[in-house]
Amino acid sequence: MFGWEFPPHLSGGLATATLGLVKGLARRGVAVTLVVPFPVGEPAIPGLRLVSGTWRRDRVRSIRIATPAQPYGGTSAYLASRTYAAGTEGTAVYGANLFAEVDRLAGIAGEIALDEPHDVIHTHDWITYAAGMAARAVSGRPIVAHLHATEFDRAGDGANPWIAARERDGLRGADHVITNSRAVKRQAQDRYGVPEGRVTAVHWGIDDVYEQWTGGGASPLPADAAIVLFLGRVTRQKGPDYFLDVAGRVAALVPEAHFVMAGTGDLLPRAIMRAAESGIADRVHFAGPVGGAEVDRAFRMAAVCLMPSVSEPFGLVALESLRAGTPCIVPPAAGVAEVASNAIKIDFWDVDKMTRTVVDLLRDRDRREQIGARGREEVASPRFSLDEPARQIEAVYRQAIAAHPGVGHA
Amino acid sequence: MRDVCLYAQVHQPYRLRRFRFFDIGTGQTYFDERQNRELLLRIAHKCYLPTNQLVERLIRDSDGEFRMALSLSGTVVEQLSATAPHVLESFQRVVGTGGVELLSETFHHSLASLGQTAEFREQVELHRRTIARHFHQRPRVFRNTELIYFDDLAPTIEALAYAGMLVEGADGVLGWRSPNHVYAATAAPGLRLLPRNHRLSDDVGFRFADRRWARWPLTADTYAEWLAASPGDSIHLFLDYETFGEHLWAETGIFEFLRHLPGACRRRGLRFVHPSTLAERTPVGALSFPRPTSWADEDRGVTAWLGNPMQAAARARLHQVGAAVAATGNAQLLSEWRRLTTSDHLYYICTKWSNDGDVHQHFSPYDTPYDAFVTFMNVLQDLELTAGEAGGRASRRSRLDTGERAVPDRHSQSARV
Repeated sequence: MFGWEFPPHLSGGLATATLGLVKGLARRGVAVTLVVPFPVGEPAIPGLRLVSGTWRRDRVRSIRIATPAQPYGGTSAYLASRTYAAGTEGTAVYGANLFAEVDRLAGIAGEIALDEPHDVIHTHDWITYAAGMAARAVSGRPIVAHLHATEFDRAGDGANPWIAARERDGLRGADHVITNSRAVKRQAQDRYGVPEGRVTAVHWGIDDVYEQWTGGGASPLPADAAIVLFLGRVTRQKGPDYFLDVAGRVAALVPEAHFVMAGTGDLLPRAIMRAAESGIADRVHFAGPVGGAEVDRAFRMAAVCLMPSVSEPFGLVALESLRAGTPCIVPPAAGVAEVASNAIKIDFWDVDKMTRTVVDLLRDRDRREQIGARGREEVASPRFSLDEPARQIEAVYRQAIAAHPGVGHA
Repeated sequence: MRDVCLYAQVHQPYRLRRFRFFDIGTGQTYFDERQNRELLLRIAHKCYLPTNQLVERLIRDSDGEFRMALSLSGTVVEQLSATAPHVLESFQRVVGTGGVELLSETFHHSLASLGQTAEFREQVELHRRTIARHFHQRPRVFRNTELIYFDDLAPTIEALAYAGMLVEGADGVLGWRSPNHVYAATAAPGLRLLPRNHRLSDDVGFRFADRRWARWPLTADTYAEWLAASPGDSIHLFLDYETFGEHLWAETGIFEFLRHLPGACRRRGLRFVHPSTLAERTPVGALSFPRPTSWADEDRGVTAWLGNPMQAAARARLHQVGAAVAATGNAQLLSEWRRLTTSDHLYYICTKWSNDGDVHQHFSPYDTPYDAFVTFMNVLQDLELTAGEAGGRASRRSRLDTGERAVPDRHSQSARV
């Protein structure tokens, strides 16, 4: 399996999804060799959410290749990270740009495919597609390409045509494609022309074993403060501006409302400046990156979690919010909206409706708790466990392997 | 005979520790004791101790002909007293020569002069008492934080019985007039204003070590020549004391420059005078400062502290929390709040990325102004919470006191307030 950042440093995102998938597969007895192109050492944040009673380490091998490639930022974030990574120990000589890094990973992938016995190659998003192809060229095993988000989801109109081209080639060249929602599946078909029979939508699940907040009162704010939470990367894709729009309006209507933005990203400075200008700087708080039990703490302290994502291929954060019993507002186009019936669906651009809904929830504690309880109950069902996506993906593996009769079992 | 008035500012803030949102309410201390102590000792080693020693020698060797003025902020005196008493003694020795006149300012090096008149007076009084206790002087001349001055401040300063005040010799205010005279304040004709000669001051403070500067390297002899050739009655040279050895390392030759300056000046008939001496002079005219003017940055305004929305929001929040703290009547909380009024905290939030911005970055303990803002706001949130609890006669801190914590200076200092 070719992934990147692993284990995850933050809630949500691909790394968390990969971790969940690997754990689910391990529980089913599928052995995974995970190749990650990220120059991280051992988890630096104490209490990282890697702990799980059923976690079978011996079934997962992780090979870390030093590279500064980052999945979300495109080439500019890559250039910024390079300076940092170049100074760390044990990193290799780097190419001139992100694409060179991707190609370098692909170059190494062939060698790894020779050394590591495998039946199927699982790649995650465009950055690893070329590596998958290189591995297949050596081993002849089928490729299952996972599409978590398209370049258009990440960058909108600013989509990088080179990345989109790699995405297209990777998807068309794969033996089978897995998307994490029906919406992304449609994109794979419509945008990239992958035939319907070669795409399967598999929705994510969440781990029932996770680091819980045990410190008592979760909110650092006064007892009467009602918190609206934004948790995720502070990037265009996640709609931080819409969150602040809603914050400004809700603040005027609910005096005890406070707003917490947890996470970091290229739009964080702008969000901080906007909060300062808004006249409610005393009620907009910035928690920075959160990890470990603080993620659970953030959900628990919140009265409502607001995800005004411009694009949300899946939206694992919504499941984590519901798991904590915190009502969550998601855009109807989010992958998670296809499966979580207790998530509240409002379009990211509908600031009026988000405002009304948040105000209603803040004012009506009973209703809030009812919705929270229903959501918690829903995500506790086996449908949302890690086992469910693992089961479906294993079926895709078997189907792909069966379609490659020419290759002997390794 | 022309006079030279040399003055230097000594100040160190209480820098904040990294204070995250989730630290609010956990009883974490606000101030980074270790960083503050280490910085203070480093600066003392590079600047305060060697400069004090040199100045003391220059005063003694010249039989008191060489003289200068210093102003030490209350926050630096307090920190020296707590963590580096031998450095404080070194200041006391140099002041004890009689050649160093001390000036008044706000204890906390704050911006309270911009609208918080009652708080301003209290901080000035706190400083006055601190200077009296440690140095047995009663200053007659005032210098406000970063030389901030504007007309409306003049009556307040005069009412506090100061004879004179240091101001920035801003070109926009002086116009055709020279900074090399003593002026009266239009808004308080009894108050004398000493405008800083920013060109000659910055030749030392900023340009001295600049190898691209056409006049580099600057010798004491050349500099004394420039002083002697300047028009006017008295030349007011105001600098950071940290110029000597800290902003400009010893390797730049700054100590050699200072060592030879008194002799070079004497040979050219220049005489060193104290600000209070100049404040007795008859003014050549009156100056009006309609807007707050400081010695910082190219614009000489107050935009280094109040130039962007984050700074405005931080200052508004500071005053909001200040009211909550005042309502508790709790002296310890008030003392902590006052440490937050130190202008440096707002300076770190400055987002000017011009040449000025470079200067700001040099002095900031934060990676970005946004970090500085978020940290400051988190601390204020915590302080407000504490004040709310203190007002309710409950001790939130002791209830939440479950985890380990560093030696909390917020508790240990309480006895001295």
